[in-house]
Amino acid sequence: MTAPAKPIVEARGVSRVFPMPAGPVVALRDVTMEVGEGEYVAIAGPSGCGKSTLLHVLGCVDTATSGEVRLEGRDVGLLSDSERSRIRLAKIGFVFQRFFLLPMLSAIENVELPQAEAGVPRAVRRNRARMLLDYVGLGHRADHRPSQLSGGEMQRVAIARAMANRPRLILADEPTGELDEATGEAIAGLFDLLHKDGTAVVVVTHDPSIAARAQRILRMRDGTLMTQMAPQMAQMTQTGKRGNEGGGHE
Amino acid sequence: MRALAFAWRSLTRRRGRTMLGILGIAAAGALMFDMLLLSRGLLVSVREMLDSVGFDVRVLASEGLPQSRVPLEHALDAALALASLPEVAAAVPFRIGEAEAVMGGDRPPSIAVFAIGSTTNRIWAIVDGRDLPEGDEQSVVVNERLAERLQAAPGDDIEIRGRCSAGPSILPPITVRIAGVASFPFESGAQLTMATRFAVLDRLCERPPGEADLIMVASRPESGPDAAVDAIRKARPDLYAFSNDEVIERFETVGFSYFRQISAALAIVTVSFGVVLITVLLTVGVNQRLGEIAALRAIGFSRRRVAGDVLWESVLLVAIGGAVAIPLGLALSMWLDAILRSLPGVPATLHFFVFEPRALWLHAALLAAVAVGAALYPMWLVARLPIATTLRREFVS
Repeated sequence: MTAPAKPIVEARGVSRVFPMPAGPVVALRDVTMEVGEGEYVAIAGPSGCGKSTLLHVLGCVDTATSGEVRLEGRDVGLLSDSERSRIRLAKIGFVFQRFFLLPMLSAIENVELPQAEAGVPRAVRRNRARMLLDYVGLGHRADHRPSQLSGGEMQRVAIARAMANRPRLILADEPTGELDEATGEAIAGLFDLLHKDGTAVVVVTHDPSIAARAQRILRMRDGTLMTQMAPQMAQMTQTGKRGNEGGGHE
Repeated sequence: MRALAFAWRSLTRRRGRTMLGILGIAAAGALMFDMLLLSRGLLVSVREMLDSVGFDVRVLASEGLPQSRVPLEHALDAALALASLPEVAAAVPFRIGEAEAVMGGDRPPSIAVFAIGSTTNRIWAIVDGRDLPEGDEQSVVVNERLAERLQAAPGDDIEIRGRCSAGPSILPPITVRIAGVASFPFESGAQLTMATRFAVLDRLCERPPGEADLIMVASRPESGPDAAVDAIRKARPDLYAFSNDEVIERFETVGFSYFRQISAALAIVTVSFGVVLITVLLTVGVNQRLGEIAALRAIGFSRRRVAGDVLWESVLLVAIGGAVAIPLGLALSMWLDAILRSLPGVPATLHFFVFEPRALWLHAALLAAVAVGAALYPMWLVARLPIATTLRREFVS
């Protein structure tokens, strides 16, 4: 397996230490990795191994205690909070385990939200939001509130929201963690689709069947990057049965 | 979605809490609005009363409270001298006394007697009969309440006795004729009032003739009260002349400062209550959706934006509550005003709560301060929110 020539995000010797009353907790130890443009990477490992922390550092929501994170070649550690906010808004899409849709907004309004923040005109963002909801197979539920949607549907809306500003990198933190197996497979199918359409995808998961869909799997333990596995290896370690690519997306 | 619309949707999502906030601000705002009306209401009302009688300068023999003032001697001559000044249109000596009607019963009713030493009357308004005839020294005009009490009408003779000392009066009664029934601007709701000329009051209390409590002066419109005051001070340096503006100024610094202090204290309490209430509601709301806010920050919302959302929520709560507070406060002020005006001795035309446009502006300014002050802590909370830690905590919980 070879790394892509042009990385969209890269970490060099990144460590993250959380100061705690009982003593510092090292969440990341000297992690070096990169994700190429359009690449699909899974980060796997046991709970508490630093997967989410690495994702947060790569996604500019957390800063490394030491080391360097570069997004499109730019050292994000040197940026101010508002500059990092702008980068997250324009270049990165986040998908969370708990969806975090705003309950008082409809599905389409949730998808419009990042575009509105980016200053996209109303008509343009409404069209784009409709298109994205169609993309994730929820065009017919555009006006439904999150409370009227199932878990899988909420996660699809969250994926559409993550795509709203045409990011080049999607970061997903346990996106199937709160879904049943079949729904999780459908969501994983959506990530396959995003990847196929040219977006770089980084998925943190403890589900081997989800990880096996990636081009590369980064295994972590105790804050350290252990191995980078090829997809064939991932197939071998996959314990769950891979289902059909989920319905709803075209 | 704009911050204002976003804040509105956030508020409507928690209807119960939002209603609580609006009602709390409406109640506190109504009280605060009333305090603003009260803080200057009495001054405005007294000013209107002073202006309503058509005299804009008062001339006294000494400074101080009415009870401790020295009587103005030779007031008729002094009034004539003042009236001859080019800045002065009219000068009327004025005296206040007390009498009782001679009628059956243990406790004869007390009558406030206003006497003027001039034919120029700008103080009372005749509602029945006629005004005091020129040169007549035994006619009086009475208010409607006294006419009813005495069961008398214009043309009837009545007997009155002067109350010129603290003890029971031993002065002989005098007979006076009712020329007319009048309304008086300064009388209280239950007051029995009579107006007459100096000669009648002189006979009632056997006071030296020509003595007055004050001279009421009307300035010429082209000169104005300030010029009239200056002219009077030059012409009669032994007298004390005050324009209505100066009287009000003195009231403001001395007489009515209690109302202002009470109003200020209560307004501070209500503003503090409003700030605490909205701060608590917003802080609870923010703490309940920390994960959501962290997610918004993660998808690219800036600190300024999430803090702005909280500020808009505060502004909306306070603005709606503040708008409700105005009619509520007006209704409450009318009720409180009626209670205070029913106190004995309060002139019927005097109001304690008076609406002025500046009260509305002050109300808006104070509420704006409440909105901003209340939002400060929850804004600080969301602005300082550690995104990654909060997302991790949400996941663990």
